[in-house]
Amino acid sequence: MSSVATKVPRQTKRVGHRARAQRREAVALVIPALLPIIIFSVIPLASGVALGFTDATLKRNAEINFIGFGNFIELLGDHRFWGSFGIGIVWAGSVALLTLVCAMALALLLNSDLRLKGLTRVLALIPWAMPPVVIAIVWRMIYNPNSGPLNGALEVFGIPGVNWLGDFSTALPAVIVVGVWSGIPQTTVLLLAGMQSISAEQHEAAAVDGAGAIRRFWHITLPSLRPIIIAVTALDFIWQFNSFGLIYVLTEGGPGGRTMIPPLFTYLEAFRNREIGYASAMGDVLVIAIMLILSLYLVNQFRQSKGSRA
Amino acid sequence: MKRIRGIGAVAFAGAAVLVLSGCQQGSATNSGDGGDDGAVTLQFQSLSDQPATQAAVKAIVDDWNAENSDVQVKIVQAGWDGTFDKLVTQFTGGTAPDIIHYEASSIVSFAADGYLADLTDYIDGDLKADISEGIWDSVTQNDEIIAYPSTLQSYMAFANADLLEAAGVEVPTGDSMTWDELQEIAKATTTGDAHGLGWGLGSPTAAMMSLALGFDGTFFSGEGEDASIEVGDAELAVPELVHEMTYTDKSVDPTSLTQSGSEVLASFYGGKVAMTVQGSFQATNIANDAPEGFNWVALPPLEGSEGAIQAANPQTYSVNIDSEYVEESAEFLNFFMAGDNLAQIAYADALIPSSDAARAEVEKLAADNPAWTQVLASGDGLVGPPFLKVEKYTEWKDTIATPAFQQYLANEITSEQLAAQLSDGWADIAG
Repeated sequence: MSSVATKVPRQTKRVGHRARAQRREAVALVIPALLPIIIFSVIPLASGVALGFTDATLKRNAEINFIGFGNFIELLGDHRFWGSFGIGIVWAGSVALLTLVCAMALALLLNSDLRLKGLTRVLALIPWAMPPVVIAIVWRMIYNPNSGPLNGALEVFGIPGVNWLGDFSTALPAVIVVGVWSGIPQTTVLLLAGMQSISAEQHEAAAVDGAGAIRRFWHITLPSLRPIIIAVTALDFIWQFNSFGLIYVLTEGGPGGRTMIPPLFTYLEAFRNREIGYASAMGDVLVIAIMLILSLYLVNQFRQSKGSRA
Repeated sequence: MKRIRGIGAVAFAGAAVLVLSGCQQGSATNSGDGGDDGAVTLQFQSLSDQPATQAAVKAIVDDWNAENSDVQVKIVQAGWDGTFDKLVTQFTGGTAPDIIHYEASSIVSFAADGYLADLTDYIDGDLKADISEGIWDSVTQNDEIIAYPSTLQSYMAFANADLLEAAGVEVPTGDSMTWDELQEIAKATTTGDAHGLGWGLGSPTAAMMSLALGFDGTFFSGEGEDASIEVGDAELAVPELVHEMTYTDKSVDPTSLTQSGSEVLASFYGGKVAMTVQGSFQATNIANDAPEGFNWVALPPLEGSEGAIQAANPQTYSVNIDSEYVEESAEFLNFFMAGDNLAQIAYADALIPSSDAARAEVEKLAADNPAWTQVLASGDGLVGPPFLKVEKYTEWKDTIATPAFQQYLANEITSEQLAAQLSDGWADIAG
């Protein structure tokens, strides 16, 4: 023990000189890469956060005053914002969970040794290659109450057509379906990659022991995928909570505010009401809220995995 | 080390140049000038989206450019969708064009924010006299005229004459028709697979606010920040009628209430609805797009208890206050608004021109077109609505009124709840 303790400082002293030179070199190399990040990400982010504490508007030559927590206090009593917040949670939560379920099924299918495996894997990726606006326009056509193929198919079976995006009870479920559809590919790819890293020996051993497909999925595939599932669901939740283009094109938050998720609401406040300070405060609140929700989720997951290991 | 620092400095300089040139590209100072021989170039952002109107606008601009070699106008074509958001970013970023085409109820927000030049002293005297006081009033903010009002839209009912005939209904004629008549015809023409009326009320507020004036439903009183709202029987007359027709008579296609006007036109062409209420400008689209042999008519203006009154919410041409050439822009607009020119635009768009000279010209152009008679007739009842004077009208319209009307028209809330939402929401916003 003691010999190690005396050796270590001597070593650092010896390389100290070179290390310092290396550090300086590294700084010089990092600066060019860091600059764009600071200019395009950090400064806008910081000024956006700071705007939340002011009464800024988009008026010409607007005078901007620091008003402390004024916006946040006002926001606390804004029931329309919290209503939209609730819709956002429902939207992001159900899209993330349903995406996981569907993507898991699809990944299992693609992982099994079927014919035309290459082709089907490429086909499954196609929604990923489409921009959200294009996806939304395509689905608007599919959902069209008068001439859409969905209602057309229903009518063949004698079921009366539904006004999917216009009806108060179906609008949110209808946009959730679109969200799931567009989210499946990337989740599938990640799960598929995870499945392929599970060694075939484990499955073989379990099969020899007489475990059926379902038990093997439950006791081998699922536990090994656990970290991927957690990461992918958490990311999906954040992305969907912040998604804008899809719903903006599909419903613009309608009918009657039934699909008004927080980013849309904030957008209206910023660009329709031109209260940029108040809208920035909403943005700040959304970031904090997402971080809170996620930390709860992650802490919970950590505890569980620790408990199972113990 | 020195060399490394040198590389760092070069990289930094390179990045800075890139950033700065990126900023400079779209700045306002750039947009103003640029002619080779010192000629002024004005950016004119036009929203006219019908091909015939675009051609008319281009012809007028070409005329001007040929006559005025020192002030050249360049058309920047944009669309109506998302214009508000676009203008917000343009004004805030300092890249707004010199001449801005929009509509009165939305442009007042920009006037209130101080982005529009006061045109009072530039407007041609004859033109000023030729447009009614009520219409000038709709573009006046704090005693400053902030736009030239050009053309106006009214809401009109169009009917499929064959379906009316099949139902044994005579096509109404005369100077106006009452809402009761509309309701009767809608009932009579509703059959197993067709509804009497389709009305694209996906964004219902503008139509509801405008038509309420026929029942003396003004919604707002007072101006600017002191405006107050009152939602009573007069204000609710039209929404309640549409509600009754949809859910009691079942003569209105409920799907159409969630669609846009043009989406409902498809049902109209397909014979799924016998009548449709649309903006008057759709007369041009129907004439162009209706299938061969489609027998349609424009019905007389809709008359409420107070007459066939609707809101005058003209299209507008404003000048950016930060433009270096406000005077030149106003001169061009004086030329643009001259009787002949305005008449061409109004005729192509099937809208009602604001000035009497242009109106007389349109009457000549459209002498043998029966639909036009009704378009012009509906223009007689256009008055400046109180909501144009309300500073936070756009906010109220988009965040309160539209969802509230949508809920009521979907039969989700009662008319009392609608009234409460509209007035409580205003209290929140005006707060």
